[in-house]
Amino acid sequence: MLDIRDLTVEIEGKPVVQDVNLRVRTGELHVLMGPNGSGKSSLLAAIMGLSPYEVTQGSIHFADQPIDTLAPLERARLGIGMAFQRPPSLDGVTIKRLAEALGAENALATAAEALDMTALVDRDMNSGFSGGEIKRAEVLKLMLQNPRLMLFDEPESGVDLEHVRVIGEAIRTLMSKQSADAPTRCGLVITHTGFVLNHVLADQGHIMRSGRLIASGDALRLFSHIQSHGYRAPNEETVDA
Amino acid sequence: MPEQSTAEPKVMQLSNSTRHALHEVGFDNEDTRAGTSILVDDRMEIAQSHMPGIEIMPLAEALRTYDFVQDLMFGLVEPDANADIAGVSDQRHDPVGHFIWVKPGAKVSLPVQSFTMMATPQKRQFTHDITLIDQGAQVEMISGAAVPEQVHTGRHVSVHETYLRAGARCTGVTIERWGAEMETASYSYARQERGSFSRSTAIKLSTLRHDLSHSETEVETDATCISQSILLAPKDTERELTTKIRLTGPNARAEDVARMVTTGGRIVNDAVLIGESCDCAGYLGCDGLRLTPDGEISATPALIARAERAQLSHEASVGMIAHDKLIYLMAAGLDEDAARDLVVQGFLAPAQDWLPGALRGQIAAMIGAARSGGM
Repeated sequence: MLDIRDLTVEIEGKPVVQDVNLRVRTGELHVLMGPNGSGKSSLLAAIMGLSPYEVTQGSIHFADQPIDTLAPLERARLGIGMAFQRPPSLDGVTIKRLAEALGAENALATAAEALDMTALVDRDMNSGFSGGEIKRAEVLKLMLQNPRLMLFDEPESGVDLEHVRVIGEAIRTLMSKQSADAPTRCGLVITHTGFVLNHVLADQGHIMRSGRLIASGDALRLFSHIQSHGYRAPNEETVDA
Repeated sequence: MPEQSTAEPKVMQLSNSTRHALHEVGFDNEDTRAGTSILVDDRMEIAQSHMPGIEIMPLAEALRTYDFVQDLMFGLVEPDANADIAGVSDQRHDPVGHFIWVKPGAKVSLPVQSFTMMATPQKRQFTHDITLIDQGAQVEMISGAAVPEQVHTGRHVSVHETYLRAGARCTGVTIERWGAEMETASYSYARQERGSFSRSTAIKLSTLRHDLSHSETEVETDATCISQSILLAPKDTERELTTKIRLTGPNARAEDVARMVTTGGRIVNDAVLIGESCDCAGYLGCDGLRLTPDGEISATPALIARAERAQLSHEASVGMIAHDKLIYLMAAGLDEDAARDLVVQGFLAPAQDWLPGALRGQIAAMIGAARSGGM
């Protein structure tokens, strides 16, 4: 569903993502790991089409369609959704009001309950929220959007362990086909702590460093390698590429 | 004097366009209101009270009926304060406007509604309203000013004098929807006596050439005045808002907040809060949001403390609509117009907490129409 080829992304002429090849098929959930500043968030922003990330080489295809030149709105309407790492606060716009604007008020109660956010739906979106509440609100937003490709930018950072489980279960729910008319999705999750791996079924993991994907393979084994060796490319024999 | 005036015709005898315009600014069926006054051009079409404890009548009739009304008229402003007010004063012997009296101790359970309409193009309308909320009385007021859809030219000047006697309580909302080529000037004066409470919201969202809103309020001992304005300046609209609040008694309190949005027009907001007595406290807030680069908002809050322990503060901010919020919402699937409307509604939301849901929905629709040039 998502096909990235030889992708280079720059900000004001400075490359932040280089020569990335990544393919996420329908039904697959991939996790992206790497140190701070390695380009993970830049890659997700480029997939979403956010400014100031500029694709200077390579291509991004979604559902067999090139999307490099599309605006974020057009990408959203194709079925791409993103849980932001640092979303803006929408002062005066409650979660309930946002759900109405997205035409998803009927889905709100179920989504809010799944994310332990029922008590927050009358609060302004991301305004005065704790770090954990912001992360859950972003996942809630994706549940309301109902996208086919879900991009999660560090959904677990700043979240207590109990709510990491809640977020992980919500992602797992989103990945499972809930009904006949629900879309079959795929997802790409950035994780620092790896905690979310305890709650989702990741099909593949990737290590990113200095803007490049330096390893791909089984997510849990890659994470285990990172814990013992840091963000280095493992030997060929330790990880299934 | 009977509680009910017999002014005719009733609202159903007004033209469809007039009734439609009334509904746009808050009119509702009279069985949901404690009283109704409707002025069309120079004629008081309806002045009726539906409940005991309230009298509503044309001001000219009130002058003839009650001696004390003579003292209320131009009791808070000099009749020659400026040319506009002098224009209203010129017809003080036969004024156009209403007199609303909520009698001592009356606890009015339904809102009182009052409206001013201008139905004649190129009309020059001068009105004078007096409201007396007597000692210990409580009332909710809904007022509006509007033109039928086909009227877009004219000039309206109004003087409003409001007296809140000791311990009185008044909450209210005012909605104005004038014609696109009109010029309006409203001068509002209020005196709040000991222990009284007022909370008012003014909503002005439509296109018009120039609007001046001037208000002066005197807040006496232990009285509280909370006021807010929701202003929108579409292209070719200029709004001038001047506010002066005097805290003249110990423990007097005031809070005045203006939320201003421009989609190409100009808004000037000058507010001054004066602490003249010990232990008074007040706050001025001016927040402006520019949706287009050509719109202009000028916000000047001023504080003057003339007494010990007067606690006065202000905040002011003016900025363009946040690009990151628009992109965030568009990345969630909202088109740019819907994203803008949502951000603007959010910006104005804190000022709408007191308003009924139906009115909030109407404001949202008016914002959308103004943004798209439909107003």
